Amino acid sequence: MLIDTIQKALAPLNLEKVAPGDYAKTGYHLEVAATPDQMPAVAQAMLKAGCFLESLTAVDVSPEAFTLVYHFANFKKLCRTVVHASLAKGTEAPTISQVYPGADWYEREVFDLFGIRFAGHPNLTRILLPEDADFHPLLKEFGAGDAGTGN
Amino acid sequence: MLEPGTEEKTFTLNLGPQHPSTHGVLRVLLEMDGEYIAKADPVIGYGHRGHEHMAENRNYFQFLPNMGRVDYLHALAYNQGWCMAVEKLMGITVPERAEFIRVITAELNRLTSHLLWFGAYLMDLGAFTPFLYCFDDREHILDLLDRVTGSRLTYCYYRFGGVPSDIDDEFIAGCWAFIDRFRSRWKDYDNLVTKNVIFINRTKGVGIITPEQCVKYGVTGPNLRGSGIPYDIRKSEPYSAYPRFNFEIPIGKNGDIYDRYIVRLAEMEQSLRIIEQALVKLPNGPIMAEKVPKRIKPPVGEVYQAVETARGEFGIYVVSQGDVKPYRVKLRVPSFATLSILPEISVDNLVADVVAILGSIDVVIPEIDR
Repeated sequence: MLIDTIQKALAPLNLEKVAPGDYAKTGYHLEVAATPDQMPAVAQAMLKAGCFLESLTAVDVSPEAFTLVYHFANFKKLCRTVVHASLAKGTEAPTISQVYPGADWYEREVFDLFGIRFAGHPNLTRILLPEDADFHPLLKEFGAGDAGTGN
Repeated sequence: MLEPGTEEKTFTLNLGPQHPSTHGVLRVLLEMDGEYIAKADPVIGYGHRGHEHMAENRNYFQFLPNMGRVDYLHALAYNQGWCMAVEKLMGITVPERAEFIRVITAELNRLTSHLLWFGAYLMDLGAFTPFLYCFDDREHILDLLDRVTGSRLTYCYYRFGGVPSDIDDEFIAGCWAFIDRFRSRWKDYDNLVTKNVIFINRTKGVGIITPEQCVKYGVTGPNLRGSGIPYDIRKSEPYSAYPRFNFEIPIGKNGDIYDRYIVRLAEMEQSLRIIEQALVKLPNGPIMAEKVPKRIKPPVGEVYQAVETARGEFGIYVVSQGDVKPYRVKLRVPSFATLSILPEISVDNLVADVVAILGSIDVVIPEIDR
């Protein structure tokens, strides 16, 4: 079973939580909690298990912290792994783009929309918004009309 | 002016943002070494509308029409993704007949998407006639979908718990007529394109995507299957009524443009098969779940729901904090991952082939920009 392989591969990393998820309710087979610093090692283990990075995003959970959310899935066997990593605001998370080149654009998007910096990223620039934008629209403090009309 | 003694080896060529072969507002900065690509750098975001931000500022139902505007070519798959995510959060079960109607209409919509790709892509390669053939066929589907959904393109047809209006006998008869008509056209398509030696020479062995690259970049959909990996959410992570139907996942061998073309063509036949079976087995009964709350206010939690669109895996990640508005919505769109592979697969190709490669991965730019 793929889920066992992944659990075994993640065991030596001493993660905060590695537990089976409630698939019918959430769509996750495996739920993992880690620190951002552990992410490159987690990504390495997931790549070794043959998983691909489905999505990488963030949630502005509180005035003090973000949660980085990584989804991994597999082309051969159905097993979705979600990794939540809490990141204090104002601190950097290490990039995983050297493991998954596909993460390059996802991390740029998270930087663009949340202002989160990824240490070691080869080209951390805005990707969706104009280069001269001075806001990060998915922060909760950014309201519905704050981008102006563009005039 | 160049300093004496220095030699400029490469130059920059700007492709887009307004270019017919970018199919939307996409810019690619090409660093050229003569006729060959030394580096390609896609510049995206021209069509950014902030769908994810909009989601946080309206209630669950109000966000539904946005779904038809992310990937406007396969809008119903996006409708389905959002509805299924909310249904999962709320614990709503969709009646059988509604699931069948969803499958029939979503597959018809997949056909329109593949047909548009087919016509537009061959036009990129310089063939005008196939475009006229497939738009003729596509028009029949648009009329059918118009009849049940009320629109031709940016559909907003599914609702939480089912569909708002039933399909009638005329629609069903129209589907059967279309299936017969479309099958009779395969020969024309094959003669026009598949056996066309110019087409074969331009596409075989060009723009190869390897299975390893697919894993590293998260490429899904026909681009992945062209590389020989049979991954299709409809089979791998079955949803809606798909487990009831027999269909195959067409795959390629070499991962080149030609294989991606063959995969999409074969997929259209599989969609016809699914529609046929759904029409035959179509159950009677309600089209809407009985207990759908007027106020959608899901409990605290999060879900990830994946559906197979014409371009690959659309994943929707919703975080609820028990409010009438979603706390966070992330749209994982297939074209985003697919386009990020372009720099890698276009290097060392001729500039004329970049247009062929870009068209072959079938990206929809508004979906990438969101």
